[in-house]
Amino acid sequence: MTDSIFFYALVGAFCSMDITFFGQFMICRPIFCAPIVGYFMGDINTGLWIGMIVELHWINAIPMGVIVPVDVSLISILSTFWACRYFIGMQEAAVFALVLAVPFAYFYRDMDISGRNFNIKIMHFIENGIKNQKYLRMYAGIYFGFFLFTARLFLFYLFAMYVGGIIYSGLYLQLSQFIILGLRNAWYLLPVVGFALVIKEFNIFRKLFCKEL
Amino acid sequence: MIKVYLKMFIRSFFLQALWNFERMQNIGFIYILKPFLDKVYLDDKSKQEALMRHAGYFNTHPYMANLLIAIVASLEKDKSENKEDTINISSIKNQMAGPLAAIGDSLFFGTLRPLVACFSILIMLLFMKFLDQNFQKYAIFVPIIFIITYNIFHIASRAWLMFIGFKFNRDSLSIISSVKILMPIIKYIGFFISTVALFVYLLIFKSSPISSLFFGSKENDLAIYIIVFLFSIIFNRFGVVFLIYSVIIICSLISYLRI
Repeated sequence: MTDSIFFYALVGAFCSMDITFFGQFMICRPIFCAPIVGYFMGDINTGLWIGMIVELHWINAIPMGVIVPVDVSLISILSTFWACRYFIGMQEAAVFALVLAVPFAYFYRDMDISGRNFNIKIMHFIENGIKNQKYLRMYAGIYFGFFLFTARLFLFYLFAMYVGGIIYSGLYLQLSQFIILGLRNAWYLLPVVGFALVIKEFNIFRKLFCKEL
Repeated sequence: MIKVYLKMFIRSFFLQALWNFERMQNIGFIYILKPFLDKVYLDDKSKQEALMRHAGYFNTHPYMANLLIAIVASLEKDKSENKEDTINISSIKNQMAGPLAAIGDSLFFGTLRPLVACFSILIMLLFMKFLDQNFQKYAIFVPIIFIITYNIFHIASRAWLMFIGFKFNRDSLSIISSVKILMPIIKYIGFFISTVALFVYLLIFKSSPISSLFFGSKENDLAIYIIVFLFSIIFNRFGVVFLIYSVIIICSLISYLRI
């Protein structure tokens, strides 16, 4: 429907915000955000399939305690965007997009950790405000945190979609025939491994056969 | 007071707004509690003391936090009427956060979310198999089904937790512990749905260009089931990224050997 990189960066930022900042309505989950991006780009099938693969593989990615898991919405949105923008309808190109999106997500995770460290400074600013009965600092701190979080995500999506897109399309055209065939096979096999991970998540086989593992 | 509860409920979606490594959800907790404290503490000094009391370390599951917020709010109300002491409020809050986080993580993120995701994937595969040419037309319903189904449980749980927190105070913990009975049931439903989804997936797989990748088409199903069974047991030995890249490398090697 639209081809604007700014629009998709905004959609991506909005979806990723759901992981920590607001709500946890699960609009950050790949099964939701990848098809939505695919729908806007005119290829919902690719979006759904990528969403299914990423959802199945990272089904147990939980932000528990101090653990910052890899941003799965970033993986699914970037790969859907690249695949639909440069090689629409090509399954092997979509798998290659997935391969390339994973390192970007790990890179963003480091940025996210820095952002969470910066929140400590905002937290102390608010705490000092409460000590001096300046309660408005709480709202100012939260709005500032919201601005930083959104800006960080939006700029990262913009960078990844544009620069990553150039790298992605350039690299894909250099791939040899057997790798392209391998990627096409992986398009159908990755969900199989994904299903295994889901069945493991429900913990039935392990309970029945493998208590000692 | 209803207006205050509603305000707290809406603010509870911002619990992790300023999540930080030093004290985690403390600012979010204060932010949610503030409308209630404004109401019960009429002098500035007591209100400031109450806010500072909750500025310490706090971390729990974002959905289960609603219960704890309601309990803490009730205790703060008692404190404002001199029925409760300060040490008690802090210790109850700290003692309950951990167990509630454990219940929330395994119930919502570890069981309910995978179940709803599997259900949506099953719907998608059924659409793919049986709608064929019309799939493109109805595909948008898959993410919509996921988000609506999950959030019916999510928002209802948050509202219910806040309600029982205010109504039963500390006794609400016994109600929560009874919810644990649901978990194995949800897990078995999840297992059933994912198995059916795998079965439907294999029907789609059969009509794919790589249907005879393993030993020929007849033994293909068996090979897939063995892969699923083995991986579901030995998964803990490997990371997700390792698995994805391994599958792609193995597929490329098979293609190279065939060419």
